[in-house]
Amino acid sequence: MSNPLTTLVAVLFFPGLSFILTYALWCQWVSRKAAARLQNRQGPLHTGWQGTLQPLADFIKLLVNEDITPAAADKPVFNYSPIAVFAIPLAATFLIPIQSLTSLWGWEPIVSFQGDLIIILFLMSVVILAVFLGGWSSGNVFGAVGATRAALMMLAYEIPLSLVAIGPAILAGSLQISEIVDWQVTSVNTFFRAPSIQGIAIVGVLFIGVVIYIMCLLAELELRPFDISEAETEIVHGWQVEYSGKKLALLNAGHDIKMVLAAALVTSLFLGGPAGPILPPFAWFILKTTFCVLVLTNLSVLFARFRIDQMVAGAWKYLVPLAVLQVMAVVALSGVI
Amino acid sequence: MSEREFVIPIGPQHPALKEPESFLFTVDGEVVVDVEPRIGYNHRGIEKAMESRNYIQNLYITERVCGICSNAHQTAYTGAVEEVGGIEIPERAKYIRVFMQELERIHSHLLWLGVAAHEIGFDTMFYYVWRDREVVMDLLEEVSGNRCNYAMATVGGVRRDLPRDKYPKWHKMLDKLAERTNYYIKVASTEKTILERAVGVGYLGKEDMIRLSGSGPNARSSGVPCDIRKLTPYLIYDEIPFEHIYVDNGDVLGQVLVRTLEVVEAVKICKWVLDNIPEGEIAVKFNPLQRLPEGEAVYLVEAQRGELIHYTISDGRNMPYRHKIRAPTLGNIPSLVERLKGGYIADIPITIAGIDPCFSCTDRMAFYDEGKDKTWTWTDVELSKYRKEWYSR
Repeated sequence: MSNPLTTLVAVLFFPGLSFILTYALWCQWVSRKAAARLQNRQGPLHTGWQGTLQPLADFIKLLVNEDITPAAADKPVFNYSPIAVFAIPLAATFLIPIQSLTSLWGWEPIVSFQGDLIIILFLMSVVILAVFLGGWSSGNVFGAVGATRAALMMLAYEIPLSLVAIGPAILAGSLQISEIVDWQVTSVNTFFRAPSIQGIAIVGVLFIGVVIYIMCLLAELELRPFDISEAETEIVHGWQVEYSGKKLALLNAGHDIKMVLAAALVTSLFLGGPAGPILPPFAWFILKTTFCVLVLTNLSVLFARFRIDQMVAGAWKYLVPLAVLQVMAVVALSGVI
Repeated sequence: MSEREFVIPIGPQHPALKEPESFLFTVDGEVVVDVEPRIGYNHRGIEKAMESRNYIQNLYITERVCGICSNAHQTAYTGAVEEVGGIEIPERAKYIRVFMQELERIHSHLLWLGVAAHEIGFDTMFYYVWRDREVVMDLLEEVSGNRCNYAMATVGGVRRDLPRDKYPKWHKMLDKLAERTNYYIKVASTEKTILERAVGVGYLGKEDMIRLSGSGPNARSSGVPCDIRKLTPYLIYDEIPFEHIYVDNGDVLGQVLVRTLEVVEAVKICKWVLDNIPEGEIAVKFNPLQRLPEGEAVYLVEAQRGELIHYTISDGRNMPYRHKIRAPTLGNIPSLVERLKGGYIADIPITIAGIDPCFSCTDRMAFYDEGKDKTWTWTDVELSKYRKEWYSR
């Protein structure tokens, strides 16, 4: 995208800020509605068709609400961390291939360079740092406990998450997300032309990878059974406890964007990105990410919440070794060694 | 307190507590070292109010001690008053009281099961259990006209009859409840994440439980057979064949099992009552102006949460001289404190919810000076003076 006007439109409208924000609200609706139907409830119903505008209404309502900064809080940190929680995942979505503006069938991201996968993984970790600072600076005991739990959880899931994300990169021989997508498209095409045992093995190994990846994402997104850092009944929404009004609106929107980012990463790394027959790339992107959101929602209503010690121990005992084995299998299959 | 320890206040306002009560937790990291409960945030003056109303008016006050065990309170109250007055109630009324008591037990235990699932973060089970609880709520509404505060018992009998043509339908509803409860027993004892959060959490052994004098499902989950319906049967409980449920797990899983198994037993009792209920009158006449002879009586009822004690003294008027209510939660607080020690912060809500606390029924207020070891009373004038001083500071 060399044309500055196209770049501006891409950043501000599609597939940049406006699209991602709207899509995040859509994902929140999908998630809420699916969870409600799975739990024998109705979910959002009255605002817009089947309550589709409810997330937007909630967002606007929170913007109007009174914004309180506790006297005991460390004010600059407390005030700026919601902005970080909102902006960092939003910035990371610019690296995701969704749709090119210059051609209907292209999907190069707004920003793309060798190593952008590492940047995305880094940005996702930085969000947790903002979360930790926000909770810790709120001057509330529950906030402090929630912040500590968020940091502890990161120590548990961050390593398998990054390890598994590297798997497709090794196979594609590139750390650039768009190249990983291209590799998936070419290898799927080759596989359909000439099926091979090696292809089936790669699909199997990557399936283990995607399972680990989704479990780590449940923790990253603070969904059940890993909503330990905001456990409502134990520590009253943990690190978010003192946030209200505009800051809470930003935090909620940040959570939705994180969900989009997570679904987009699963799509780009394991499900072939926005590529697909007949429909244009952005349609496939929406279909695939919505499917990922549904999977995440379905998993999150199935379980009771783990305790922090159970979660950390489980991650180190099972997820990390499994992730290491998975990467070793990927390396063996790719023929690097 | 060492440097690593800090104090987390839970309550008087906290989402894990549905009623105002304060617990000060001294924690070391995520582990609870010490607990200091403080009760008495909710003073409603119910016992005092009862002293100036007649026995019929008091029916409706006792019922409002608790929203969930309203019928248990009414049963205990009417039992105590009838014992003082020497009133013999018809046989059919006894059956209807038992029927109401067991329906209320089902409703309360299912409600608890949902809340417990919510406390461990399993909201899906919470929604499912509460949907199935609607069956018993509908049943209660059909029997009494209300979903809670049924106003069924009265001094001398009950106020509404059970119409015989409804029995087949009620049998079907009870069967559905038993079927769903058995399903939840299966889920609770096999689902991995529930077991992770329930097994060994808030453990208290049998000896400790006897020493700390817990009651109800809380004590029965530690293997203490203490069901009042078996130990000192009231109404017709000595005629009904039902099992004395107690398990020796001692933890949250034990509490889940005791309550769910009790729901199954309660369904059996209800069905037995519907099959065996005799014909006849449902109440003997009792006049609100009727004076009771001098005397006193204690009536024990196995409420859903444990042993409920009503103690009434009559001085020969048509209103009680004194009526004392001891709600089961008061007896369960010492064992709760012991259960909480050594656990994790994350397990505090489920352990507190585990005894099915009802703090508002328990709380009374008294003035006591710890240093001088003296108690005193205040009139309402003194109280309002104190209030003015407090708010003008």
